[in-house]
Amino acid sequence: MITLNNLTVRFGGVTALDAISAQFCQPISGIIGPNGAGKTTTMNAISGFLDYQGVINWNDETVDDLNPFKRTRWGLRRSFQKEQIADDLSVLDNLQAIADNLPLSRSEKRAEVEHAIESMSIAPLANRKAESLNAYEKRLADLGRCIIGNPKIIMLDEPCGGLQQEETDHLGELILKIPELTGANTLIIDHDVDLISRICTETLVLDFGKRIAFGETANVLADPKVKAAYLGVEEDAK
Amino acid sequence: MLALLVFIFIPVLAGGQWVKIFISTGCFILAAAGVAFMYARLGMVSLGQIALMGIGGWVMLRMNHAFDLPFEINLAVAGAVTLVFGWLLAMPALKMRGLYLALITLMAAGGLEVIFSTFRFPNGGEGFWGVMPSVADPFRRPTLASSDADYLRYIILAIVVGFLIIELHMRTAPGRAWAMIRRSEAAAYASGVNVVYYKAWAFGLAGFLAGISGGLLAGGLGLLDPATFRASESIMLFALMIVGGSRGWLGVLIAAALYRIVPALFNDWGIDADISLIIFGAALLHAIITAPNGLSGQLIDLFSKESKRT
Repeated sequence: MITLNNLTVRFGGVTALDAISAQFCQPISGIIGPNGAGKTTTMNAISGFLDYQGVINWNDETVDDLNPFKRTRWGLRRSFQKEQIADDLSVLDNLQAIADNLPLSRSEKRAEVEHAIESMSIAPLANRKAESLNAYEKRLADLGRCIIGNPKIIMLDEPCGGLQQEETDHLGELILKIPELTGANTLIIDHDVDLISRICTETLVLDFGKRIAFGETANVLADPKVKAAYLGVEEDAK
Repeated sequence: MLALLVFIFIPVLAGGQWVKIFISTGCFILAAAGVAFMYARLGMVSLGQIALMGIGGWVMLRMNHAFDLPFEINLAVAGAVTLVFGWLLAMPALKMRGLYLALITLMAAGGLEVIFSTFRFPNGGEGFWGVMPSVADPFRRPTLASSDADYLRYIILAIVVGFLIIELHMRTAPGRAWAMIRRSEAAAYASGVNVVYYKAWAFGLAGFLAGISGGLLAGGLGLLDPATFRASESIMLFALMIVGGSRGWLGVLIAAALYRIVPALFNDWGIDADISLIIFGAALLHAIITAPNGLSGQLIDLFSKESKRT
């Protein structure tokens, strides 16, 4: 369970996130909203990349006192809108780069990396340099990085951005497997409402840094306020 | 293999003057290797490498004239002191990257240039700075390698060890952490990389290599001239490293060869050595326009194409 309590982020005079509170109890939850709503800012705050006010908890543990790399060591994993794997390393080394920094023994690290490669079915890619991969293969490697080392929170920022429909479908299947693979709570940002409604049980909707709806995905998507924000429909024009 | 061939033949074949030139080329290969891995793996531009070499050389000479310790101990001290200076240089680098970092390292090189030319290098005189006018005390080389030819072999060995150290880093956790830092700091944090620690490590390693190369250069020449360690030389070495290519040992060899051997060849042929600057400029343009991986990248491509054809 991920709990956000009055999460507030300000950039100078702009309030990018305004006292967001939410309890993500489901294994996979979504965050949606129009451009500039504060979705990525929420993830950056949870990653510790930004100064914020408020409290972020996972079950009974609080992460607020940890700096970004210690959060990763604690069990936070994330991917970015643009995949962030190192081009001049092989896929295997990209996975190993996370395992290196975790408090595990050498053999446990190797086992974690192998487990991730197997789960993503990317064994044929393992020894290829990342620069030779296509967008979809890079996304698979990126997702593989996220499941290494018994993570507690996994955040995926537009995991299917720029992919074709069948690739999105397959990646969606893999994301659905994350809870049984790792037992982590997963948060997903995406613009693809079909994808969100297929894989996320709960969804938080943001607009202009404010929470406008939170709850079961189907209910949330049917909410007139969400439709107004998301589809640009005036709320009172029914 | 190549190193072994070079190890056996070059010192024998090369005549007196050329052995000296190869010795100093060898020292700059080691220093260039430090800049190259920083640039290729971390994407960091350090323009202070030759100034750091000067520190290594200074410490080496100071140790040599003050104490009666073996060469290797002096060399280790020179490497260690320069490593610490590398860390000092890393302090501003922890917050900066790109152009600003390059400028900071260049400023440091400029400061060291002033210090070197004011106080000069120790040559056996009294006091902390240890400079005496005109004559210089002799410099003790390693007992195994007191002749020029043997000393060149000693340096080739040092280069091989230096390359192996870098390669070892590349294949283990630091190399992977550096690659993540190069990708972006966010990517590094998301991989659990302690960015400050690994950046400092990289600067320390580059500083260590510079210190060792400076110490070896001091051993090769017996005394050092402040003009060798001007800030502009660091820029030149960096530019030639771009020409040679920063990924891998071949590019570093090409860079140091251009830096030291080309001007010496011109001298030999009775051409003004400054002409080499024009060639370097043309080579840099060539590399930037057509060869993102430098001349070494082009050579490797050429060979792999040829071997496919046959």
